[in-house]
Amino acid sequence: MDRRTFLAGSLGVSLVPLMNKLAFAAGKPVSWWYESAAPAQQEAIAKVLVGGFNASHPDYSLSIDYRGSELDKQMRVALLSGNGPDVVYTAGPSYVAPMARAGQLLALDGYAEKLGWNKRILPVFLEMGKYDGKLYAVPKTYETLGLFYNKAVLEKNGWKAPTTIAELEGLADEALKAKLVPFASGNAGWRGNNEHYVTIVFNSIAGPENVYKALKGEIPWTAEPFVTAINKLNDWWQKGYFGPDYFSLETEQFFAQMAAGKSPMLPSGTWHFQYIQSYFKDKADQCGFVGFPSAEGLGGSVYALGVGSTLSIAAASQNPDGAAAAIDYVFSPEFYSAMNSVWQGEWNAPLEDLSAVKISNEVPALYAETMKTLADAVGDNKYGYTSWTFLPPATDTQLINGIEEVWLGRSTVADYLAQIDATFQQEKADGKVPAVPSR
Amino acid sequence: MHRLYLIPTLLINVVIIFIPAALTIALAFCRWDGIGMPVFIGLANFRQLLADRVFWMALGNNVIWTAIFLTVPIAMGLLAATMMLIARRGSSFFQVVYFLPMVIATAITARVWQGMIYSPLTGIAGLVTRAGFPVPNPLTQPSTALYGIAIVDLWHWWGFLCVIFFAALRQVPQEQIEAARIEGASFWQMLRYVLLPGIRPTITLMMIMTIIWSFLVFDFVYILTQGGPAFSSEVLSTLAYRSAFYDLAVGKAAAVAVVISLFGLATTAVYIRLQAKEFDQ
Repeated sequence: MDRRTFLAGSLGVSLVPLMNKLAFAAGKPVSWWYESAAPAQQEAIAKVLVGGFNASHPDYSLSIDYRGSELDKQMRVALLSGNGPDVVYTAGPSYVAPMARAGQLLALDGYAEKLGWNKRILPVFLEMGKYDGKLYAVPKTYETLGLFYNKAVLEKNGWKAPTTIAELEGLADEALKAKLVPFASGNAGWRGNNEHYVTIVFNSIAGPENVYKALKGEIPWTAEPFVTAINKLNDWWQKGYFGPDYFSLETEQFFAQMAAGKSPMLPSGTWHFQYIQSYFKDKADQCGFVGFPSAEGLGGSVYALGVGSTLSIAAASQNPDGAAAAIDYVFSPEFYSAMNSVWQGEWNAPLEDLSAVKISNEVPALYAETMKTLADAVGDNKYGYTSWTFLPPATDTQLINGIEEVWLGRSTVADYLAQIDATFQQEKADGKVPAVPSR
Repeated sequence: MHRLYLIPTLLINVVIIFIPAALTIALAFCRWDGIGMPVFIGLANFRQLLADRVFWMALGNNVIWTAIFLTVPIAMGLLAATMMLIARRGSSFFQVVYFLPMVIATAITARVWQGMIYSPLTGIAGLVTRAGFPVPNPLTQPSTALYGIAIVDLWHWWGFLCVIFFAALRQVPQEQIEAARIEGASFWQMLRYVLLPGIRPTITLMMIMTIIWSFLVFDFVYILTQGGPAFSSEVLSTLAYRSAFYDLAVGKAAAVAVVISLFGLATTAVYIRLQAKEFDQ
């Protein structure tokens, strides 16, 4: 190789990194780090989100980088060092306040006003994304907890979907007699599943007013309504409602258990809608969903409100306008319609008006109905509180891990609630409790 | 001039060992959520640990884990290595078979045991149960969870020790072995008076490393049980991980890391003293 060839070659190689930028010279890059997604889900993101956004926003070029289940740790390190993506994806409102306090997020009030988020997004969710009076995050999706059930199993045994706690327990007792596991459930893949059941009894037995008071520090978590709620949950465990394999089953396994008719009910969240077609196949209409039955005096089902992920803009973003445009796109009825037609439960943006939304006919009508019921419940201020959305991190960890000690007889209900309360009061004093919208 | 050759390794040590270690020690005396600015709080994190029953459970589990790994895999490794030395036929084959689990990624090993062996739905335990012989999943019982994880790690680990011991045994002078045979030494006498004394430095090193590694154990515990159920398989490293990345209590996690390091440091000091004694002899 002569010197001229070497220099030409070196120059060519040195230009390679620029090719990427030149290739997308038409659109200013917008980066977004996403958690893990299955191949079919990545395809939906590529087609509906990236493809749809880039086609309708030629000035920008959105790219998604999959970071897996360690996304939040990587994000924290990146933001701490002044790097990271333009669109900041967090695991929920409890992560937003510390990031906003550290100056890592951009206030979104200007964009909310300019792009009309104040009118399009349900006000409760705008309140949840605030820190120190400014808006820093909007929910990517929101969810609730309820009761999935297998209609075929209920019909075969002459049972009907429960509407009260007494009916729920009656059905569960009958299921036990029929050698069925009353609640399809498990936590082998994700111990956090424990908190779904604690959240359910806090809202449906203690009641959302009491949860609100506890979150505001007006009553302790050791108050009598919470004792009653956890006692009831413990009774259900001891009676065997959760089955003998709770610690062995992963989420998809217990959903399959319900679809196969081995369990009549599955108390969990709306994100499970994504599994209906996979496990019920051509009998998707055999899967039912109702709000979780509630105790007397609570006026019917309580829809506990959950936000498992939020969207913000990094303070160090080189393209905040592009990031705001990408977030804005997620709140468009077109995107909502297209994405929820192929992937249910993970892109349920909190839109105030769902009239322009058109979901594919292939999706069970139940999904759209449930989301509308939830939106109405939130709009009417009749919602509850999920632990992963409204509790600070260490309190939530205590709630998840401690309930196993109660179930397995290694701790009492009183001790469990006392530990939750002690951790909560400490975190409240440290300013770690996420914003709680007033009722 | 030749001292300049030390600079690259020194630089690597400073950047990836000294600085993170110093920062971890400093953070152990701070309250920090991993996002904002750390606040100095003195010994509060350590006081909190002393009052935390989960910390004591985790420490107890680390001690049990150390006791298991100081005895079971070392005994198995020594026995198998000695047998391979005495009955040479097939020793290469057995070395490969014993070592194979070691080259499989721990995450895969853990998932295989979790899904194909322990699972009541998809595992051998489930098959046996359905055949009428109930076998509970050890990972789901507080009294057996830690041992269930230890079995997986033992399967993965003991073959490595076996191969190391076999390599060491082959360095024992052949004349000593022959002399013992001629004198009519039994298998156990050969082991007790010839082979074990011949590889004592290797055994000591492996025991020291076992203690250090036992206090660092994380992967199998985290994948198989995440420290549950009910904290029954929690170890110090999973406690530190949960504190740092779930509770956003990085200072407390750093304090746990310092405790783990103290055990490693103490063990290393013992090893250095033993080495020094051997040199003196």
